[in-house]
Amino acid sequence: MTVTTEPEALLSYLQKADGSATFSYAGYTVIGAVNGPIEVQRRDELPEEAAVDVIVRPAAGVGGTRERHLESLIQSTLRQIILVNNFPRTLIQVVLQVTVAPENDYANAKVAQANLNLPILPALLQTAVLSLLSAALPLRATLASTALAILPEHGDRRIISSPTGRQIEQSQSFHVFAFTSHDELILAESEGSFSMKEWDDALAAAQGTCYPPTTTGDTDVLMDDDKLVGSDLKHFTRSTMEQKTASDLYWK
Amino acid sequence: MPREAEPSLNERAFVVQALQEGLRLDGRAFDQFRGLDLKFGDHYGVADVTLGKTRVLANVSAEVTAPYIDRPFDGIFTITTELSPMASPAFEVNRPTETEVLLSRLLEKTVRRSNALDTESLCLIAGQKCWSIRVDLHVLSHDGNLIDGSCLAVVAALRHFRRPDTSIEGETLTVYTPAEREPVPLSWLHSPFCITFSFYGEEGEIMLLDATLLEEQLRVSSCIISLNKHGEICQIAKLGGTPVEAVSLIQCASAALTKGKELSTLLDQKLAEDSKRRDKGGLLAELSAENER
Repeated sequence: MTVTTEPEALLSYLQKADGSATFSYAGYTVIGAVNGPIEVQRRDELPEEAAVDVIVRPAAGVGGTRERHLESLIQSTLRQIILVNNFPRTLIQVVLQVTVAPENDYANAKVAQANLNLPILPALLQTAVLSLLSAALPLRATLASTALAILPEHGDRRIISSPTGRQIEQSQSFHVFAFTSHDELILAESEGSFSMKEWDDALAAAQGTCYPPTTTGDTDVLMDDDKLVGSDLKHFTRSTMEQKTASDLYWK
Repeated sequence: MPREAEPSLNERAFVVQALQEGLRLDGRAFDQFRGLDLKFGDHYGVADVTLGKTRVLANVSAEVTAPYIDRPFDGIFTITTELSPMASPAFEVNRPTETEVLLSRLLEKTVRRSNALDTESLCLIAGQKCWSIRVDLHVLSHDGNLIDGSCLAVVAALRHFRRPDTSIEGETLTVYTPAEREPVPLSWLHSPFCITFSFYGEEGEIMLLDATLLEEQLRVSSCIISLNKHGEICQIAKLGGTPVEAVSLIQCASAALTKGKELSTLLDQKLAEDSKRRDKGGLLAELSAENER
């Protein structure tokens, strides 16, 4: 089946959760649900801030160390953007259910995989942010995240954003970056061998994907150019929220 | 974790009295299901069932493993149900609630123990290699009647699933990737469906189909009947609660048969629609390496 390169999102479609979103991008589809602020168990309670609990569940099989690692990465990222100090002694629960992961037609899938699963991280983060927005939890900033692979090519290197599974296999190094809406780097995870120069190039490329430099200072100006909406994740998040708000408030 | 909110006394009295007057809160007839929708994913073996506000997703995967030592000629077939806090904050990770245990137990009895999937056909090399088929059930939203919805999702996903084709030459086993050979369907024997009945009133004289979460919380007892479209009953479970008359159980069984046939027709129709959607230009039949049985 075809892999969608354009991000797609659907907000607040689970009835029971406080906020929910589905997000599909680069072959991954993730359903996110946020409950919060809710009652917290005594052992998890933090006296001065809300505890953020992230649960990542794979499409097939039960979660293992791989999921626990992703959970800890997402947890520490989200803790920084949610205004946790506003809700002391409560819990904000984020459940991320992977429903579709890209399949490789040229290899048979194994359920138990021991390797790291960084390529899914941008989709998980993006879903988490959309679900948090849908749950109307106060955030310091939104975030946009992207994955990049550095491929060797005729003695030179080429940077590819949102690479396919096959490109990741061939790549020398693989990077995931996340930026807040104030254009600050909030998460950087890398895999493989690379030089500092390559990492800098990757960072610049990621910044270009998440926040193109065309937005000159004034972040409130929304670009009318439809072409940019797909390529630029910050505007994607923004336009998704705008559409949702407009459809919720159509009666006004 | 917060507990599931219990209905208040007023709510309780209101719903029960309305039922005694022949009315349901959402205006349905007593034997009417909520809007039922079944969707298949882009990949094989993904089924998404929406039943009113209840939503369940089943995902099937296959892997080659070694069979159990005591069953060398059988493949492995497991159904995993784990209720996440996504369905309701009352569910906790790694701590199964009663709902979850009952659900997995019933699916086990209905689908696995009724031999709906022929596990012998999953054997590749006796005692050494076999297919392990795994169904992961994800409950996305819980608004009552989880069992009927889940059972339909599991059966639909398994019937939709295609496993990689294999061949054995002498001692070498080859598993073909989807690019080499078109994947083959599982050897499926019959499709069981679960129908849950909820009883109300002092002697359980009122019988409801497809109860919502609120109705489920208020029922005095329930009965789950699993059967296929031929009327072969796989299991009947009535776990405690108020005793009901034998006659009403017979009524349940006949009502379950009509409902089971309806579900079966719906599933067949959806599967046919999906295969039509995939079969672009009618080339799928040529790709298949399967023999006519």
